[in-house]
Amino acid sequence: MASSTSGSSSSSKVVKIRSSDNENFEVEEAAAARSETIKKLLEDVGDDADVIPLPNVDAKTLVKVMEWCKKHMDDVDELNKEEMKTWDAEFVDMDQSCLYNVLLAANFLNIKELLDQLTQKVADMIKGKSPEEIRATFNIKNDFTPEEEAEIRKQNAWAFE
Amino acid sequence: MRKMDSGCDFIQWLGPDMSIQILEHLDDPSDIVRVSAVSRLWHQFAIENGLSRQLCLRMFPEISSAAHVIEANNKIEPVKLNRSSNMEWECLRRKHKVYSFLAKGLSPVIRNDCIRGAISASSTDNYPDESIQNTLEARDRVDNRPSYWSSKGEDDPSVPETLLYRLTVKLSVVAEIHVQPFQAFFQYGFPIYSAKAIRFKIGHLRNLMETEADDFGNSAADRFIWTYTSPEFPMVQESSLQKFELPEPVLCVGGYLLVELLGRVQKQEIDALYYICIAHVKVVGRPALPAFDVEMLDQSGTCDLRYYSCRESAVKSPSLKMGGPSRLSTFNAIWNRILGAGAGTVAGDDDDEPEDEFPI
Repeated sequence: MASSTSGSSSSSKVVKIRSSDNENFEVEEAAAARSETIKKLLEDVGDDADVIPLPNVDAKTLVKVMEWCKKHMDDVDELNKEEMKTWDAEFVDMDQSCLYNVLLAANFLNIKELLDQLTQKVADMIKGKSPEEIRATFNIKNDFTPEEEAEIRKQNAWAFE
Repeated sequence: MRKMDSGCDFIQWLGPDMSIQILEHLDDPSDIVRVSAVSRLWHQFAIENGLSRQLCLRMFPEISSAAHVIEANNKIEPVKLNRSSNMEWECLRRKHKVYSFLAKGLSPVIRNDCIRGAISASSTDNYPDESIQNTLEARDRVDNRPSYWSSKGEDDPSVPETLLYRLTVKLSVVAEIHVQPFQAFFQYGFPIYSAKAIRFKIGHLRNLMETEADDFGNSAADRFIWTYTSPEFPMVQESSLQKFELPEPVLCVGGYLLVELLGRVQKQEIDALYYICIAHVKVVGRPALPAFDVEMLDQSGTCDLRYYSCRESAVKSPSLKMGGPSRLSTFNAIWNRILGAGAGTVAGDDDDEPEDEFPI
């Protein structure tokens, strides 16, 4: 991922990308290339590229994703790791619909590290919770009959203590 | 986490691939079981995608070799069909239950103290001085007295011997067995009474009504059904803890171990008979944690998994409760009986100076 780190800030190339709702963005190539999908497209079209269309990502989501890419543009070890961790934790602290949109975008744009952070974030919302609490968090209706639910609890009683 | 928005069901919203990626971050089997109790969709999703199996194999990769015991042999939590269910779903459900149970129930650390007690030896030369109980002690001498088990002497070096042990729990994954032959440091030439080869069997009691196998009679070995037999390992005539790693870790149900000592290599000078003497035996693996147990259903080794919560075990009869203090006290009682007898002898012998040479 170490794409042109030395002097990247001054002389880096800028690429144009377009969201599904037709907004254009100019992003440093090193940031955009955190996305394997964009990187591949850039390689394919070469320098003739005008605007790279991203039909699966809306502007609001793309702004979020590019915010992450800019922060993660440089090698991690050059930055303070603790500071980066705090930044990442704050970054993934967003409402659920936004979280899912960014997650789907990270998947489409193939940004593995971001995808990993986001899926971890959703998993953290499940950890240690009872089924009732999980239902409340994700607004899920309990559609078991009382008998079915009792049977599931009985089968694995150790998980409900 | 902000509570501003009302959440939404991500399994519906994100689809299976993303949802699996999310749920793969769960590292506690309890979380996966609770996920499967959220809704019908989540129940089906967790079970169909084998989330608990994946987690279990991630936690204990060695279990993958024992997977056929669970999946194909239908021995653990046998799949029962009723009219409204289909076979495939029932198998998936069983897998979900068994793997989450193992993931939660097996000791997170590999332990080398998986033997709970020694039951009997096929022969013992001098009981109790040379009892199998001595093989539980790692040292080969205690208070200046040698500590080992000795067989009776035989003319024929091919006569085998067996040592029978009870494991700490009925459910465990056994990876290695360590055996140290005894070197008679009090005999001329310091002979080492090892065996030619060694083999291990793991199994359960034949009669399921028996709760304890503490009878020291010669018929002890007939009272067991051995569900696993290891290959034969050569033993070396060295006084060291020899490590026998099973080709694949074995999911052991039933809690009994038979050590077969095949062939004799050392003759005792004094009577020109072949003996086998063992200083120490230990079993390395992952025992089930105290509240997790199996109940044998029939002689074929079929069994159900059982969990005894703290609340439940207080009500249950001691014979049903495994791994708790009651079982331990039974064990201690047996131990004390044996040690009591032994201790008397030792106390009596204290007056005599230990001889330079004991006949084995």
